[in-house]
Amino acid sequence: MTAAVLALDHVTKRFGGLVAVQDVTVEIPAGHITGLIGPNGAGKTTLFRMISGAARPSAGRVFFQGREVTGWSPHAVCRFGICATHQIVRPFMDLTVLENVAVGASFGGVARLGGHAPRDEAEKTLEFMGLSAQRDVPASALTLAQRKRLEIARALATRPSVLLLDEVLAGLTPSESLQAVALVRKIRDRGVTIVMIEHVMHAVMDLSDRVLVLNYGRLIADGSPEAVTSDPQVIEAYLGRAAEGA
Amino acid sequence: MTTKLTGGGAKRGVRPEYAVALGLGVALALVPLVIPESLTILNLGFFTFLYIAQGLAWNILGGYAGYISFGYAAFFGLGAYTTALLWLGGWPPVLTYPAAGLIAAAFSLVVGAPTLRLVGPYFSIATIGVGEAMRILMLNLDRITGGASGLNLPTAVPSKAWFYTASLLFAAVAFAVAAWIRGSRFGLGLQALRMDQEAAESLGVQTTLYKNLAHVLSAFIVGACGGLFATYFQYVHPDTVFSFTESISLVLIALIGGLGTLWGPIVGAAVFYAVQDYLEISYPTFHLLAYGVLLIFILLFEPKGLAGFAGRIWRWIRMSPGWPGRPQPVERS
Repeated sequence: MTAAVLALDHVTKRFGGLVAVQDVTVEIPAGHITGLIGPNGAGKTTLFRMISGAARPSAGRVFFQGREVTGWSPHAVCRFGICATHQIVRPFMDLTVLENVAVGASFGGVARLGGHAPRDEAEKTLEFMGLSAQRDVPASALTLAQRKRLEIARALATRPSVLLLDEVLAGLTPSESLQAVALVRKIRDRGVTIVMIEHVMHAVMDLSDRVLVLNYGRLIADGSPEAVTSDPQVIEAYLGRAAEGA
Repeated sequence: MTTKLTGGGAKRGVRPEYAVALGLGVALALVPLVIPESLTILNLGFFTFLYIAQGLAWNILGGYAGYISFGYAAFFGLGAYTTALLWLGGWPPVLTYPAAGLIAAAFSLVVGAPTLRLVGPYFSIATIGVGEAMRILMLNLDRITGGASGLNLPTAVPSKAWFYTASLLFAAVAFAVAAWIRGSRFGLGLQALRMDQEAAESLGVQTTLYKNLAHVLSAFIVGACGGLFATYFQYVHPDTVFSFTESISLVLIALIGGLGTLWGPIVGAAVFYAVQDYLEISYPTFHLLAYGVLLIFILLFEPKGLAGFAGRIWRWIRMSPGWPGRPQPVERS
């Protein structure tokens, strides 16, 4: 296994009496696509938020490339090289598509780009994401599928080492979803480590090198897609237990 | 060092736009040379430019970053009093303006640290509190501020033409700053955080830093304007320079002219002061009704204010069949 680019060490998040994420310890190797699945309310997004700095863990630590990043604010974490997309897309509505991506290119990234570099980077990213035709359109005029692409494009423009994708396939038509799957693979081929929360099972199984399963905040399974889907605990979490005596 | 990214449709028209601004500035600067005796015009110009400078400054935080502050009288008042006290202490007035700006900017950091964490109406309400608290504090610090009787300042002052030109210069500087910000990385960050603070953060925008920078910059300009006002008026009183009306004026100027636009505060200030100046003599307080009506129409029909309205008419003219320079329809698929 390659070196871990991202490591969680006994990460826990409590909201009052509710434990949203409990004692999660995991290492994400570089260059992989890791799927993160689990029923609604399992704590997947909360886990992402703790990695990206949007939420502070109640306990435990987060490491990125061997460096502790727990408690840093999101803009700092983004500059270290971790960028998260949002489950509900949040484009800057009044900015054009190009400007949206330029925000990521101008502000994100380990090294700051000067001069025209952010704009060039933004253009390249739009090209890569297949959004060049929409570059001068305000983000508010995009369709949901395009907005999802924009969300990824913006994050990608920050030139992250780790990309956290939160349900980028949700709400897409089957053909849009196929295109998105191909894109995710293309992004991985650029050397970006991807962790993705996804409910569309065939996509997760298709894309992931490894799948993590969260249930009630606990990591209940971790392994190859095949191993995870045959795990009795996972089946129980998703489908429930067979009724006794039935 | 900065990239031209923001400004949307104005992108191609940037150069002519600045040429217009420069031409307008030069033309206005010639006015005192042509009619040095017309005190009415010079006074009108002085106040209009002073409002333009402040409206532009307020718009950096209120328009670009979306933090609607009702507390800018605190910066204006602090600037006015800084100049007043330094002037009484023997400083030449001109040197007190940067000092006035610096004191106001320093105070904006103190205010901004807690209040800029609030969003939307909560921020606005907090700034009302700060503004009013400053006014009452200054009224009661009568050893320093003269309290309810104010402070009389030296009467040896430059000519009205000098004040007119100084005020125009302030407006020009404020315009240059606002124009630079609009096209810069800083401006892009402010716009991003206005539209979605959390998304901006997650893309690496240091939102807290940027909000405070915007606040400090605009407070500096408004503070310096307060200083200029003090030397012009030769008298400072807490109820005048820290008045809530002053704070409201800046909000109205930006809203009427066009929130977050470059030209908005200029148009807004001109309309604002012209209406006030014209109506106040014959119908005192009637101008408030005029602002109210204007505000309702703008909020309902043209959120980008008079500047947005002008832009709409301009596009309409350009698109009309008779216009020679009519651009070909853009194909977009």
